[in-house]
Amino acid sequence: MWLGLRAILIKDIVVELRARQVLPTMVVLGMLIVFILRMASESASAGAGAPVMGAAALWIAFLFSGLLAQERSFAAEQQNGCMDGLLLAPLDTGTIYLAKLLANIILLTIFEAVVVPLVLMAFHLRVVGWGRLAAVLLLGNLGISSVGTLFSAAVQLTRTRGALLSIVVLVLLMPMMIPASFALLVLFGALPERVIGSGSFAFVGSFQAAVAYMLAFDAIFTVASWLLFGVVVEE
Amino acid sequence: MRQLLFALAFLFLIASTWIGLTRGQIDPLQRNILYVHVPNSVCALVCFVVVLVTSIGYLATAGQTWDLVATAAAEAGFVFATILNATGMIFSRAEWNVWWTPSPRLVTSAILWFLYAVYLILRVSLPGGQRRPARICAVFGIIAFLDVPLVYISARFIPDIHRPNFSFDSAWQTGALMLGMAGTVLLAAGLIWLRTSLLRDSLKLEQELLP
Amino acid sequence: MTAQDELTGAALSIRAVSKTFVTKPVLRSIDLVVPAGEAVCLCGINGAGKSTLLRVIAGLLRPDSGSITIQGYELRREPEKSRRQLGMISHASMAYPELTVSENLAFAARLYDVPRRAERIEELLTSTGLTSYRHDRAGILSRGLLQRLAIARALLHRPAVLLADEPFTGLDAGATEDVRVIFDRFVRDGGTILMTTHDLRLGLQCCRRAAVLDRGVLILDARTEKIDAQRFLDDYLSYARSMS
Repeated sequence: MWLGLRAILIKDIVVELRARQVLPTMVVLGMLIVFILRMASESASAGAGAPVMGAAALWIAFLFSGLLAQERSFAAEQQNGCMDGLLLAPLDTGTIYLAKLLANIILLTIFEAVVVPLVLMAFHLRVVGWGRLAAVLLLGNLGISSVGTLFSAAVQLTRTRGALLSIVVLVLLMPMMIPASFALLVLFGALPERVIGSGSFAFVGSFQAAVAYMLAFDAIFTVASWLLFGVVVEE
Repeated sequence: MRQLLFALAFLFLIASTWIGLTRGQIDPLQRNILYVHVPNSVCALVCFVVVLVTSIGYLATAGQTWDLVATAAAEAGFVFATILNATGMIFSRAEWNVWWTPSPRLVTSAILWFLYAVYLILRVSLPGGQRRPARICAVFGIIAFLDVPLVYISARFIPDIHRPNFSFDSAWQTGALMLGMAGTVLLAAGLIWLRTSLLRDSLKLEQELLP
Repeated sequence: MTAQDELTGAALSIRAVSKTFVTKPVLRSIDLVVPAGEAVCLCGINGAGKSTLLRVIAGLLRPDSGSITIQGYELRREPEKSRRQLGMISHASMAYPELTVSENLAFAARLYDVPRRAERIEELLTSTGLTSYRHDRAGILSRGLLQRLAIARALLHRPAVLLADEPFTGLDAGATEDVRVIFDRFVRDGGTILMTTHDLRLGLQCCRRAAVLDRGVLILDARTEKIDAQRFLDDYLSYARSMS
């Protein structure tokens, strides 16, 4: 099983690096989103508003570029009937899912390494804990990749492929955004002093709770997707 | 039998409205929308549970009826979720002067609407005859249901402005609400039943027209 | 292995396999037993269900009823073991355009956990005549070469049964001959082939046995030497015309 998993994972990465399509697109899209959000929120991004806008920009860029990564996981298998090749092999479908999941996580991590520093620079953010930042980003990564990989296989033959995958993944991922943003705000050193009215970013709660939530979210969705993957790829 | 369901449903709903607006009127005025808002909220959730159960049923047995009921329940649920959010926004504006605020209940209501919408779009967009869309929608139904409690918990990171527990002063009000609840649930059942048989008939027609 | 299979030494055993798409029955209780070392040509007009049957045997489609046994392993109960005994060639090459010929084979070798990978890949490159193309990316190969790559990939893990869906389509005379030679060698070494083809003459030449599928039912199953090739072709042609 591990041999097959490694084989698919390495194959995916090699194919992607050679095709040089998805990763550059992801990075450029991410950068553009950050740029646009920075420009669109010029007044809000000064001073106290910066961490809020920065956190939002980071997650939005992450989500939309992440969707590109998810889509490619099974788009490449569509040509030349390669998906059949995978399904014919004496492999459990769960293994295929895990391999693709890991490939997506790696691609997103590469994306992060490039774009996150840009966000920090664009919004003049300082980071309170780098290790914790990496952990939070990884949890977000796993979150989007878990459902993204599952449904990427599902939407392959449709006309509105990318858009369909987007709405599915975004609606499922929405709940994670609240604690995820909260965690980022803590890490950017912007703990709100007071809870004012009904603003979306007036938080109540602790960093540990946010991380625990993301962990639980990831665990639930990864396991559920892993179990249900076989159903989705069946013809 | 179905006619009876609808008849009872309408009876209860009319009774609920009448009692609610005459004997059981709540003060201030906008709170009367609760007679509509609460039953719809319950129904939207109940329909979601139906979608979950039928999705699991379909994956376990591949019986087409499960799939048809799931679709019908999703459509009905979508309607209830729309009314839920709309009445919620009207109430929110009248009571707290904002159209919407991210309190756990409101966020969950909104997500519920989105989940239904995505389910219905998936259903329409997926190609592959009958079985594949049904299977993928069933998978989405299960995963979406897992999402709902997660939404509620995550929204707890935000202070809640939603005042969920209205105590009712008089038996008339409670009665009106109960009637409204019963009426709406019966309406939901009737709609799902009706829609399922419509779907079944249209499917049969399609198959007869195939070469 | 069932007692019957042991007796007949069947490499491939299909019993009462049925498949319906919505209301359209595509396969109706198909029974077919193929002993080891035999090549069967499955004929039928478009839509008769040939590709469907092959995909069901390969495990890519689930049948509504019936069982498929490969080398004694039932597909549903022991999917891993039975799939290991199967190789499949379809219209598509299952090759990744960005990977080279040898990389594609190495990938397949890992998927099937083939022992002594490098050696085996060499063997197959030689027997399919792809040695000089080993470092070429699959994306630039011609159709004939891609087909040879598909065959190499299918035979890499030494399957007992080879399923070939229209293996000769799109190949010129030279390439067709190459493929025929590979198939003959495979059968001589004890392998079993179940192929579908539109080129009936070729199919009858390649295979010792012919079966005709008509609207989901096997209507003929006979040894090719017993079939008068010309008459068979004429009858088939007129039947095909009457169906269109």
